[in-house]
Amino acid sequence: MAADLVLDTAIRDWVLIPLSVVMVLIGVLRYFVSKLMRSNQVPDAKIVKEGQLIIRARNLRAAANFIPPKSFRARRLYYNNEENGLLIVPKGQAQNPQAQMFSDPNMAMDMMKKNLSMIIPQTLTFAWVNFFFSGFVAAKIPFPLTQRFRSMLQNGIDLSTVDVSYVSSRSWYFLNLFGLRGLFSLILGEENAMDDTQKMMQMSGFGFDPSKSLGAEKDSLDIVQHDWALPKFEHRAEAVLRELAR
Amino acid sequence: MVSKTEETQLNRLENQVDNGGGGAWEYLCLVRKLKVRRSEKVLKYGLSILNDLKKRSGLGSEEWTLYEQVAIAAMDCQSLDVAKDCIRLLRKAFPESKRVGRLEAMLLEAKGSWAEAEKAYSSFLEENPLDQVIHKRRVAMAKAQGNISGAIEGLNKYLEIFMADHDAWRELAEIYVSLQMYKQAAFCYEELILSQPTVPLHHLAYADVLYTLGGLENLQTAKKYYASVIDLTGGKNTRALFGINLNVLTPAFQCTSAIGQLAKGRNKEDKESLELQSLAATALEKDYKQRAPEKLSLLSTALKSLKVSS
Repeated sequence: MAADLVLDTAIRDWVLIPLSVVMVLIGVLRYFVSKLMRSNQVPDAKIVKEGQLIIRARNLRAAANFIPPKSFRARRLYYNNEENGLLIVPKGQAQNPQAQMFSDPNMAMDMMKKNLSMIIPQTLTFAWVNFFFSGFVAAKIPFPLTQRFRSMLQNGIDLSTVDVSYVSSRSWYFLNLFGLRGLFSLILGEENAMDDTQKMMQMSGFGFDPSKSLGAEKDSLDIVQHDWALPKFEHRAEAVLRELAR
Repeated sequence: MVSKTEETQLNRLENQVDNGGGGAWEYLCLVRKLKVRRSEKVLKYGLSILNDLKKRSGLGSEEWTLYEQVAIAAMDCQSLDVAKDCIRLLRKAFPESKRVGRLEAMLLEAKGSWAEAEKAYSSFLEENPLDQVIHKRRVAMAKAQGNISGAIEGLNKYLEIFMADHDAWRELAEIYVSLQMYKQAAFCYEELILSQPTVPLHHLAYADVLYTLGGLENLQTAKKYYASVIDLTGGKNTRALFGINLNVLTPAFQCTSAIGQLAKGRNKEDKESLELQSLAATALEKDYKQRAPEKLSLLSTALKSLKVSS
């Protein structure tokens, strides 16, 4: 390995610290902006009902063996009969989320707002970091690392001879982007801290189609074999009591 | 449901606060988190914090949460003046808030001005028809007025949308039991068992309802559920032990099973349940000996009379 690089203290004062401070400030700012823009939307009764229905049907499937066969069959019929079962979605009514989005401008608006509050500051800061701070070796980790960490820590410097424990400025930006959650939860309160990774997950969760999950729930309910667990309990109770009487 | 560890923690904190050991705020937080009903204590300790300027300002914005908690507790204890003061302060701090509006409506309800409270609640519902708390308040109000059928109607409407809310199912089941509508109650208890299959209390209540309904099939099912309660509680539930005794020794059960004795399988099952009954009886006797020896004679005569009558 090459001899140790000496990092200029000016880099610390003008790259490392400003970058972290800016990231924190942007996080706080974004929190308040998104709080301002958040529209208090009233959930649709039908969607709430479908969600609850799925929970109930899932409970039925999971705990089917705890109720008498007759009750189970009655419930299954209630959910699954072809005419007016709760889990049956009439064919014409099943609308896909895309069409729903076009019919409801509010939904598209919400999406936009969410996107705006997330993507715009991110691209801006990334561009800013790239413009001002590209190519700096900003910090050094006090322990050696293997080569695999190179892409994580030395994003933006294409030198394979530099020791892996040096962190480039762009990587420092990424580390801050994903690692400041703990700090935000301190500043903004426990439940307000939301880092970008989580937001991205939420985004991908969009496009959830309730009618599809209703259908899936119906199919799995159809194939449940009811095996009443209670008769076994008598023997177990006997064993318990015997143990107790001893 | 409050889990065992949480309950012990709560009791420990309560003890500590009762004996002047401090930690009142932690106690109040825990009460709020577990949603348990300790209104008198909440009122007492919450007020002592609110009246102490230094402690109150130490809470920061949590102060308002405490005001809300104390207001609700005060309404529960019929200290309406305290509730009124709390709500007035909250109103001053949040002039537009719906949450405070809800508290105001609850105050009306606590005063007994049903019509006005109803009007306030329905106006809230018009704005947001999916507000669970307000739906529940309306049911509670109907129940408080003695309008049981109204309460049932409200609960049914609520459960049509929020059908996974087991607390509402339990409330409905209890109302049905109080009206002796056992079939409906049995349905509700089945629903409860489905959503929380390991809670023995639901099994027990279901068994009670089935036993009350009567008929051979129901009795047999009830016996199974009593057995499951015994299993789930490790034989510690006195009511279930009695249930088994009553159930197996019920004249109806004996009679009909005597008819069915021709079938061999039935016969075997009968023997088994008799064994279960005698085991339950010994467990009961043991339990009584340990915890209430002076009532042991009562128990043995009761058990004997059951046997004789069968």
